[in-house]
Amino acid sequence: MARKQRDVMSVEWVKLELLRTAYATRGGLLSRRDPRIVLGWYLVFAVVPWLTHNITTLAVLFGLTAVAVLVSRVGPLILGLFVIGLVLESTYLLLLAWLFDGDITTVLSLVTLTLKLGTISLASMAAFVSLDPEKLSDALISLRAPALLSFGVSYGYRMLPILMTEFHTIVNGFRLRSAPLERRGILGWRAVVRLSTTLVQAFYPMMLNTAKRTRTTVEALETRGFTFAGESRLGRDLRLAYLRVGAADVVLLVVTLVLVAAAFVTGAQVPLFAQAR
Amino acid sequence: MPAVIEVRDLTFRYPGAEVDSLVGVDLTIERGDFVAVVGGNGSGKTTLCKTFNGLIPHFWSGEMLGSVHVGGTDTHESSVAALSHQVGYVYQDFGNQLVRPTVRDDVAFGPINFGLTDHAERTEQAMAQLGIEHLASTFVWQLSGGQEHLTALAGVLAMRPEVIVVDEPVAELDPVRAEETYRMLAQVNAEQGTTIVVIEHHAEFIARYARSVVLMAQGAPRWHLPVREALSRAEELAEHGIPAPQVVQAVQALAPEAPVPLTVEEAVTALAGSGVLTGSGVVTGSSAPAEPRATSSRGPAVARLEGVTHGYRDVHGHLSTVLDDLSLTLHEGERIAVVGSNGAGKSTLLRLLTGLDVPRVGEVEVEGISTRSTSAARLADHVCYLYQHPEQMFLQDSVRQDIAMFPQQRRRPGTAELVEEILDRLRLREVADRDGRTLSGGQQRRATLGIALAMTPALLLLDEPTSSLDVGTRRDVTAMLAALAERIRCVAVATHDMHLVAEWASRVVVLHGGRVLADTTPAELFDDPDLMAAVHLVPPQVSVLGRALGIHPPPLSVAELTARVTQPVAAGVR
Repeated sequence: MARKQRDVMSVEWVKLELLRTAYATRGGLLSRRDPRIVLGWYLVFAVVPWLTHNITTLAVLFGLTAVAVLVSRVGPLILGLFVIGLVLESTYLLLLAWLFDGDITTVLSLVTLTLKLGTISLASMAAFVSLDPEKLSDALISLRAPALLSFGVSYGYRMLPILMTEFHTIVNGFRLRSAPLERRGILGWRAVVRLSTTLVQAFYPMMLNTAKRTRTTVEALETRGFTFAGESRLGRDLRLAYLRVGAADVVLLVVTLVLVAAAFVTGAQVPLFAQAR
Repeated sequence: MPAVIEVRDLTFRYPGAEVDSLVGVDLTIERGDFVAVVGGNGSGKTTLCKTFNGLIPHFWSGEMLGSVHVGGTDTHESSVAALSHQVGYVYQDFGNQLVRPTVRDDVAFGPINFGLTDHAERTEQAMAQLGIEHLASTFVWQLSGGQEHLTALAGVLAMRPEVIVVDEPVAELDPVRAEETYRMLAQVNAEQGTTIVVIEHHAEFIARYARSVVLMAQGAPRWHLPVREALSRAEELAEHGIPAPQVVQAVQALAPEAPVPLTVEEAVTALAGSGVLTGSGVVTGSSAPAEPRATSSRGPAVARLEGVTHGYRDVHGHLSTVLDDLSLTLHEGERIAVVGSNGAGKSTLLRLLTGLDVPRVGEVEVEGISTRSTSAARLADHVCYLYQHPEQMFLQDSVRQDIAMFPQQRRRPGTAELVEEILDRLRLREVADRDGRTLSGGQQRRATLGIALAMTPALLLLDEPTSSLDVGTRRDVTAMLAALAERIRCVAVATHDMHLVAEWASRVVVLHGGRVLADTTPAELFDDPDLMAAVHLVPPQVSVLGRALGIHPPPLSVAELTARVTQPVAAGVR
């Protein structure tokens, strides 16, 4: 089979997709809002599903977050992984239920759990694809998270692309310098084993290279006042001066709450429970 | 001029170290000076500079005796935070100094941390001063090396320090970008009177930009002299691993009484004044280059690129074309230098030859095998690619295992003997059991060359093999590349290093805008200033000097220049 350069479903594409997700390059409805409001919005959908067993309510909530995912422009990679995960999990739960003589109640209980987890996953996708690293770390500072956490978040984002490139380079090194596989084995099991061992082996040189780099970073942080900022309020106030909750942010929260309330009202009118109460 | 930094009787030892890194240092740096700190590896240059901003003794708490005063403050009584308002530091691996996601955010990091209310103004001003405003919202991982360096410098400028220390700017930058950094530093120095301290190996930059030179040896300054006087001590500098600029060497060889030149123009004046050039009319075009390297009859093809177009998608989904309908054949016995400005497609070209990527359009063949028809792993029997950063090649626990990895995995007979032979040949025996990452820059390059030799490829590709090496080690690597010829059919190097091109290459391929702009020899390349300017390359000083003296094609080394200038003169005298 002749090799070709591909733009999707290649390693390069996965790297770009991860970056697009992490750095909110696609824009979208939530990315224009104040980051604290976005975190609040996320919290609503992370908590509310646990407050009910009503499948109708949960289905409406699931629908709401699904719409949020669409307007937040979540990329195909993350969305695809989510859908595959959801489908696989449902299939295997259904199979198990059928194997162990379950009835419709079992299935409905499983649907309840799947809907809850699905809603939360969709909400996290919508929220975190809309928060770029600066906004996220500033929101954390403003919500009085420890300075080290918020810095860690922004530094982690900054290192992500470097680590991905480095890891890819090292994996390529292993590919080139190991012997090519003579046979791929049944279902390509040899190829899978080779890939897995390479991924693990490549981790060690990458970590060592990274550790060597961070020495400069630690010194630079010291000279650039990171420790000083931890002890004084001045820097914090300056950094957060641009964060402002506007009318649109309030509207977003109000609309969200109204919709969530609507979900509960609908649920009360058309109740559907896994187990009769 | 009042002193901005005063070091008195300073001795320092890193915690756990066996010997003192600094021994009885006495040094005064005047306000507004542009100082170059030079010296061999391990002479204490970097350690000295870290005492200026208080990292020593506050961050590195070793044993410190003596005192350092910066702007009248004793650093011992002060803190790193307070001193960072006075002294800014740009690291050698400046990329790791950037800690925030975007350029503007990173430049503002210092001022915001210190709670300076005019941080926005300082940030904009620093970026404007270095001409990087257009990058303000760019993510730092999208920057090129040169842009990263300017961003790191802007982060330092935004603090408006009295002193800026820059550690080896040329090490990680190509010459044109390094030149830009130096012009910026000179501008800041002239406009704001900021004192600049650079740690530097490259005498050409010192000659053109510095006003005084500190030579460090064994943990103490040997002397601190004005630049012209410092460079006249060419032999002493060469002993410490800093060969004098080529113009200085040339003038000292041809006209020893003339004043030490700092630029090519001064060298021309010096030579003209001394009467060496009386016979220069005879020189023009008359004598052939001392050592003609270009072979007119080309060997059989080793690799071929045919109508290759390739490009990458960026994070916004745009496709940028890097190579555009490029065709090129690499022949047996050639030493090819691929040159061109950043982003001209040098690395992409090499990657396509390894088969790691296949081109979007066109064909790439190595020893008659199309890269589309086989995997990169199988192609590795024919091609070897050495990355720009050697540490990315160290996959095993020791240098010996790294060298043995390829032949061992492929069960090639005679692996053990081959590895031992390579270790001896590349002088790696003492470090054979160490992890490659712990070696010095030059040793790392040798180790990666060892990995390549063990692969016994037909085609060897190297990406910037001499970057971030000091001048002595660079020579070493160049010599080693020349010695590879007997084992490897063809070697191609992507490089910015015009000294490597001059000393080693037999063929130069100039890439520009994704195409081959010129396919020529080093001497002809350096004889074409328009071409050099178009692709942002700086020829070796000696070639420029040769051209200025009317020698065509220009000489590639100082020895060649002196030979070609003196012969006709001697004949004229007789």
